[in-house]
Amino acid sequence: MIYFDNGATTFPKPNSVVRAVNDVLRIHGANPGRSGHNMSMKSAEIMYDCRMNAAQLFNIDAPEKIIFTNNCTTALNYVIKGILKKGDHAVISSLEHNAVARPLEFLKGHGVEYSVADYAPYDDDKTIDNFRNAIKDNTKLVICTHASNVFGVKLPVERIAALCRIYGILFCVDAAQTAGVVPISLKDSYIDFLCTAGHKGLYGPMGTGLLVINTDKTPESLIQGGTGSLSSQKSQPEILPDKYESGTPNLPGIAGLNEGIKFIMRRNIELIEKREMYLTQRMYDNLSRINGVILYTKRPDSEFFVPVISFNIEGLDSEDTAAILNSKYNIAVRAGLHCAPMAHSFYNTENTGTVRAVMSVFTNTSQVDYFTSAVRSISRFKKNLK
Amino acid sequence: MDNNLIMFQTVTHVMKSRDLLRNNNIFSRVVRTPIHLKNRSCGYSLLVNNNFDYALDIIGKSGIPVVGTAAVDFV
Repeated sequence: MIYFDNGATTFPKPNSVVRAVNDVLRIHGANPGRSGHNMSMKSAEIMYDCRMNAAQLFNIDAPEKIIFTNNCTTALNYVIKGILKKGDHAVISSLEHNAVARPLEFLKGHGVEYSVADYAPYDDDKTIDNFRNAIKDNTKLVICTHASNVFGVKLPVERIAALCRIYGILFCVDAAQTAGVVPISLKDSYIDFLCTAGHKGLYGPMGTGLLVINTDKTPESLIQGGTGSLSSQKSQPEILPDKYESGTPNLPGIAGLNEGIKFIMRRNIELIEKREMYLTQRMYDNLSRINGVILYTKRPDSEFFVPVISFNIEGLDSEDTAAILNSKYNIAVRAGLHCAPMAHSFYNTENTGTVRAVMSVFTNTSQVDYFTSAVRSISRFKKNLK
Repeated sequence: MDNNLIMFQTVTHVMKSRDLLRNNNIFSRVVRTPIHLKNRSCGYSLLVNNNFDYALDIIGKSGIPVVGTAAVDFV
């Protein structure tokens, strides 16, 4: 299968990731941070090594600020529900994933309100103005996607972070679509919380995610329980990372994530971005020459985009296009609303959805060309039907 | 040779301190904290045999919080 569903999860995973997961399950799969025997110590070392590598990846000085979660959604929930209390207000962008929108809708029933700041296409000044205008006296948290998971457009998160710092508001970035694809440095950054998946651009297994805490104003813990530490103490430890890591961790996943992070650091993120953007532009150019293909953005570039393309074929349901690509051409894409109805509303595609293609380090030009020739055939076939 | 434990709130700080000391040519080892000291520690401690005061000084200057120290009879 030719796989372009890398926005949902990257596939395949590097061999080193597969080996690491396998090694934990076969060789040293003891519970980390609980016991003193060699296997448990080895498990704890794997977790620590992953924290160290993630800290290096995001250029943050303390491994304890790296919190392991099940996915990006969990990390976002930790921040949103751990920070916002009754009477608080939050601001989000108009391109947010349900991982942000749904926790806030839930909190609306608990006295928290939120506003939406419109993304202004390719106009960062205007986007910043929109965020500034959405801030209220009781705004406590701004949450913003680093890049739309549907249309690939990037938001000026560093500038929004600076704006939040001026107003004394905490700022959280959803980096699910950018971590491992776009260089992110939290050193000297005003980003307070960075949430990301471990299984997308970081090439770890599914069931992994990270919350990176870059502030002393830590969220309340949502889950309390055994951490292996301070066991005689009845209350949840306040120290990071234990505060947020109750229960047995996903060691096979973390071991795989560790190797995934090392994999992309070896490959160099700048080079990954450059290559994937080249492939994205090639796909965009090919698609733009096909009659009946609808594209929703300008030609992607590294200034305003990550390597994601959304499109439709005129007169064809996005799910039908994806189904034909799957059944007739053995191509994997994701169609529909991509758990981001806000972004689709913004681009007026909420009734049609889109077909999304996302590159990975394993994507090559032949696959891109095969993909676009398949879309051309489907478009032509559709035209013949009429 | 003395056996001194340095105790922390989380095993992440234990390992971070071990690496810090290693970078300063001080050997230390991650061990389980004896049960009678566990209410002061995360369950793991750093066992330092030599240069204990210097080790404490390095860790203190790094900002890693230490919750206690103890002399023990580890083999």
